[in-house]
Amino acid sequence: MRRRASLVLLSLAVFLAAMAPTLRWYAFPRLAKIPPNQYQEVVLEARPATLLDYGTLKAREVEKITIIQTLKGNVEESKRIERDTDRDVVVWDTLSYVTGPDGRMVSKIPERYVFDAHSQDPVNVPGEMVDGDPVEREGIEYKWPFLTEKRDYLYFDAQTRTSAPIHYVGTRTFRGLEVYYYEQTVPWTEVPMPKTMPVEGITPEVIAGMGLSRWYTTKRMFWVEPVTGAPVNGEEIHKEELRGAKALTGTDTVTVFDGHVKMREDYIADTVELVSANRTTVLLLVSRLPWTFALLAPALLALALWLEARSRRPAPAAAPGKAPEAVTPPV
Amino acid sequence: MRALVAAAIGLVPVLLFVLLLSLVDLPPDGPTSPRPLLTADPGPKK
Repeated sequence: MRRRASLVLLSLAVFLAAMAPTLRWYAFPRLAKIPPNQYQEVVLEARPATLLDYGTLKAREVEKITIIQTLKGNVEESKRIERDTDRDVVVWDTLSYVTGPDGRMVSKIPERYVFDAHSQDPVNVPGEMVDGDPVEREGIEYKWPFLTEKRDYLYFDAQTRTSAPIHYVGTRTFRGLEVYYYEQTVPWTEVPMPKTMPVEGITPEVIAGMGLSRWYTTKRMFWVEPVTGAPVNGEEIHKEELRGAKALTGTDTVTVFDGHVKMREDYIADTVELVSANRTTVLLLVSRLPWTFALLAPALLALALWLEARSRRPAPAAAPGKAPEAVTPPV
Repeated sequence: MRALVAAAIGLVPVLLFVLLLSLVDLPPDGPTSPRPLLTADPGPKK
């Protein structure tokens, strides 16, 4: 009986010892993936903000501007790209739609972002774009990889269409979650005009024809939950201006937008809740189960060896004076 | 010998798990969401 128990324990110990690294290094990269059909919206606001009135070409302060950011996983496109690239790919079609205090459109920038479903590495394929312009992304955008590290990452900036380091500043606690705080400052850079302008009849060509160019600077801040790589909060101190406006307005620069953009409170709460739930699942796969198995395996092995040793111990000697039982019956 | 058999029995489910992961497409693909890219504030998040 003891011998059978020790063999069962040995089987279990081998199972757990083999399962621990399998979960961490084989199952985790295959199971922890961004679903290709994800749909998510985030609303950000700047209160107050300075906005250009294209009618008068004068900047004015407004109560708020709202940025509605939607991302939608394009399953058909991801399947098509997967056939050519032989890796799990996610295609996000996104739209950053900016509205003024009256709800009217200020700007809209569509993007197509293609990336590896687990590593978050960009996948450069035709169709990748920002506002209709083809781009080849380097680095990350929107999300960090699973098991985010305390280091700088290359972050793609949709306005300049280039990538630059986003710096790890430190670890913070945000709504009870341990998060990594990242910062990136994009210096004043000339950027293309949006393809869709808020006033009918005014096109990027018309603006360029007036000798105006669009410049932009931003300080970008992200609070990233490191297990899932998901930002739970984001802010931007964003400034845009038109330069070369002296002939039109008397001043060389006109502010197009100036404001401190923050995620709206209801979306922060929702994101924190979602990320906390996903964090538990990822932790189970990457840390909790592998460590439990790795600790249980030697314990079970020790127990199996102990039971085996006990089962091999010789039986106690027979009591003195009692004749041993005959093996064969007396004749 | 029995110890070796017991160890092999312990490895079988791990190998089956590895095989399952390599054959099954995870996470399962759903269709593209029919919801549009938003051009208005959807209101407070519930």
